[in-house]
Amino acid sequence: MATAQVSEAEKVYILHGIRDDLRVDGRGCEDYRHMEVETDVVSNTDGSAKVTLGHTAVLVGVKAEIGKPRPMIPDEGYLEFFVDCSANATPEFEGRGGEELGTELSNTLYKVFNNQHSLDLRSLCISPGEHCWVLYVDVLLLQCDGNLYDAISVAIKAALFNTKIPKVHISSDDEGGKEIELSDDPYDCMRLDVENVPCMVTLCKIGHRHVVDVTLQEKACSVASLVISVTHKGVITCTRKVGRGSLDPESICEMTEAGKRVGKALHSPLMKLLQQEESLGKKRQKVGFLG
Amino acid sequence: MAVDMRLPTIKTSMSLSVPAAGRKDLVVPGDVITSDTGFMRGHGTYVDEDKLTASVAGEVQRVDKLICVRPLKTRFNGEVGDVVVGRITEVQQKRWKVETNSRLDSVLLLSSVNLPGGELRRRSAEDELTMREYLHEGDLISAEVQSVFSDGALSLHTRSLKYGKLGQGVLVQLSPSLIKRQKTHFHNLPCGASIILGNNGFVWLYPTPGQQEQEAGGFYTSLEPVSLSDREVISRLRNCLLALAAHKVLLYDTSVLYCYESSLQHQVKDILKPEVMEEIVMLTQQKLLEQEG
Amino acid sequence: MAGLELLTDQGYRLDGRKASELRKFQARMGVFAQADGSAYLEQGNTKALAVVYGPHEIRGSRSRALHDRAVINCQYSMATFSTAERKRRPHGDRKSTEMSLHLKQTFEAAVMTQLFPRSQIDIYVKILQSDGGNYSVCVNAATLAVIDAGIPMRDYVCACTVGFVDETPLADLCYAEESGGVSSLALALLPRGGQIALVQMDARLHQDHLETLIEAAMTACKGVSKVLDEVVRQHLQEASVHSRE
Repeated sequence: MATAQVSEAEKVYILHGIRDDLRVDGRGCEDYRHMEVETDVVSNTDGSAKVTLGHTAVLVGVKAEIGKPRPMIPDEGYLEFFVDCSANATPEFEGRGGEELGTELSNTLYKVFNNQHSLDLRSLCISPGEHCWVLYVDVLLLQCDGNLYDAISVAIKAALFNTKIPKVHISSDDEGGKEIELSDDPYDCMRLDVENVPCMVTLCKIGHRHVVDVTLQEKACSVASLVISVTHKGVITCTRKVGRGSLDPESICEMTEAGKRVGKALHSPLMKLLQQEESLGKKRQKVGFLG
Repeated sequence: MAVDMRLPTIKTSMSLSVPAAGRKDLVVPGDVITSDTGFMRGHGTYVDEDKLTASVAGEVQRVDKLICVRPLKTRFNGEVGDVVVGRITEVQQKRWKVETNSRLDSVLLLSSVNLPGGELRRRSAEDELTMREYLHEGDLISAEVQSVFSDGALSLHTRSLKYGKLGQGVLVQLSPSLIKRQKTHFHNLPCGASIILGNNGFVWLYPTPGQQEQEAGGFYTSLEPVSLSDREVISRLRNCLLALAAHKVLLYDTSVLYCYESSLQHQVKDILKPEVMEEIVMLTQQKLLEQEG
Repeated sequence: MAGLELLTDQGYRLDGRKASELRKFQARMGVFAQADGSAYLEQGNTKALAVVYGPHEIRGSRSRALHDRAVINCQYSMATFSTAERKRRPHGDRKSTEMSLHLKQTFEAAVMTQLFPRSQIDIYVKILQSDGGNYSVCVNAATLAVIDAGIPMRDYVCACTVGFVDETPLADLCYAEESGGVSSLALALLPRGGQIALVQMDARLHQDHLETLIEAAMTACKGVSKVLDEVVRQHLQEASVHSRE
């Protein structure tokens, strides 16, 4: 469900617990729930990943298509984002119900990931001003149990790591026109350097403390939260406040510091996991949805 | 700060009891249970060409001439006398609507609650206007099923001191089929917390109330902070319940308590890791088998 | 038929199957914890995820409630990355709306809605990867999800898409065959009673062949029902072990 109802007394219980750094599920304020990551789940994409975080489940598919570069930046490719809040996640999203949340999420993702600092967009250029790779990153929400931003960003990073773009050979024909030839060999492909791709951390202000990876019940107690995207070096690339309440400047500073610490620590286990999965190669039994 | 990231693994079912393969009492929709016409048709069955046929996947239960099929997982099918935990969704005229995991929202009539001031108090028009002060949207209550309407909706009552508005605590929502029917669904566990195992699969964990609080009863809820040690017990119980439910173990006071004891060597937040869950559920089942003898 | 030989002289199809052979099934029930019922089904390379919520109180306007039975509400959608060429919208286009309607009609025929007056059952199906026979895979996945939710059904609903090539009916078409100009027919069957819940055919076919084709489709559906039956029984045994003392 996208939102959860809690009674006044339950709220008080959650608030006091967070004050004592013991949340309802036994975690401390900066602990994540158990997270499972798997790549290469959907075979007709160029890269895909599935992430589950508690009950939250997201599936990300990346498709590379040849398009025209943006006129202002002719020597770079670009990314497009689409977040599908499907009715599978919660009946509230049926019909057009999920569109608002989907647009909000995809706009944030666009700002966070589509820039030269997070991904080498120049490597996506095929011939300046004429052809470039457009990466369509499609996020599918399968179940919502809070903390969508963090789960989605981890899934996107994993999917980009998994993305294999076929190598391109450009040959000129007699009239000076260019012909693009895609390599047929599935092993002759380009990989993306995801080292600088940031991860997003959502910090919720609950009472006087800042809490990461909130469940829906905890979210119902929070006034506002701050989403921070952090790279592996601890550089903050984007922050934005979400939620209906307001935050004072001091707590924003504190939250940014906490987010930086937490976000930085997300990267190394993720990269280790992705490399481990890659090294296992075909030996690893695919799980997907059959686990 | 702790992140636990890993690759998913295929879960293998673990079992201590008799292997289920070849069990005859498991049926799937469309299976003919009997063509003997002497039986009565219960839940989960229908009659097709004089044959009693299953309409859900589950196990067959026979009580005298009545045949039912109990599905593994379903919405709550309430019966008179069941204990439920529910959440108020709407305040209407002379009644509250309550979400109880049933197929229709349940009803709590103003006339089926004990208002402050004694049982024999008459309900005035003023009470109707102040209904929201007693219970408003989002509040949790424990109640008993009083009757079932013809369309299957449940009518609840809280006319006993043990029922009423719930205060501080944690709600865990599980499948109703995991709750074992018992004489009482209210337990003060010796580990230091209390539990209401609602027949509808909603389980309420709360700090064991002191004597004077119990007497205050009714609609007063204490907002005093719960002590850290009580919280830890409640959180541990919560995670234990989820672990037991994940491995489909029937829930009642003994199984919950055994699971709690088996989990003590782990930190509360680690209980939900798959391998720890498996381990403690295994231990719990061992203990349960030993106790049975 | 454009170049491709859909059925060789030896009787093999593009992917090496025999004419009446089904694709490989892989399935799991109870994928998600938050829904009342859920299932994942792979039929060859077509992958679908079905989720069931309910029966529950009617959402939105109460006037939609039926006094004598439950309302079945379906939504069919496809992941934007599910097809070879990226889709722009997951649902809301004409084809998905039609599919949703078909699903609704199919399940109204099978689910015992009269047991749940005034309530609503939601069935949401998502195609994660599309390789032909989307409708059939959706129906099969949804059947598993409905069973997982413990909602009473008269029988399984099994669906299969069949085609007609060189006087031979082909069972369980894949995308290459579907798009290769075969006249295809989708059929949903309640196998035990042999009742047809839905039949749909949009292509040209000589009337004389129709009977053979429907016959072949029914045989294929019965094959599907065997596979689904195994899946459900397997799930039942795995999941019910511990609930006994």
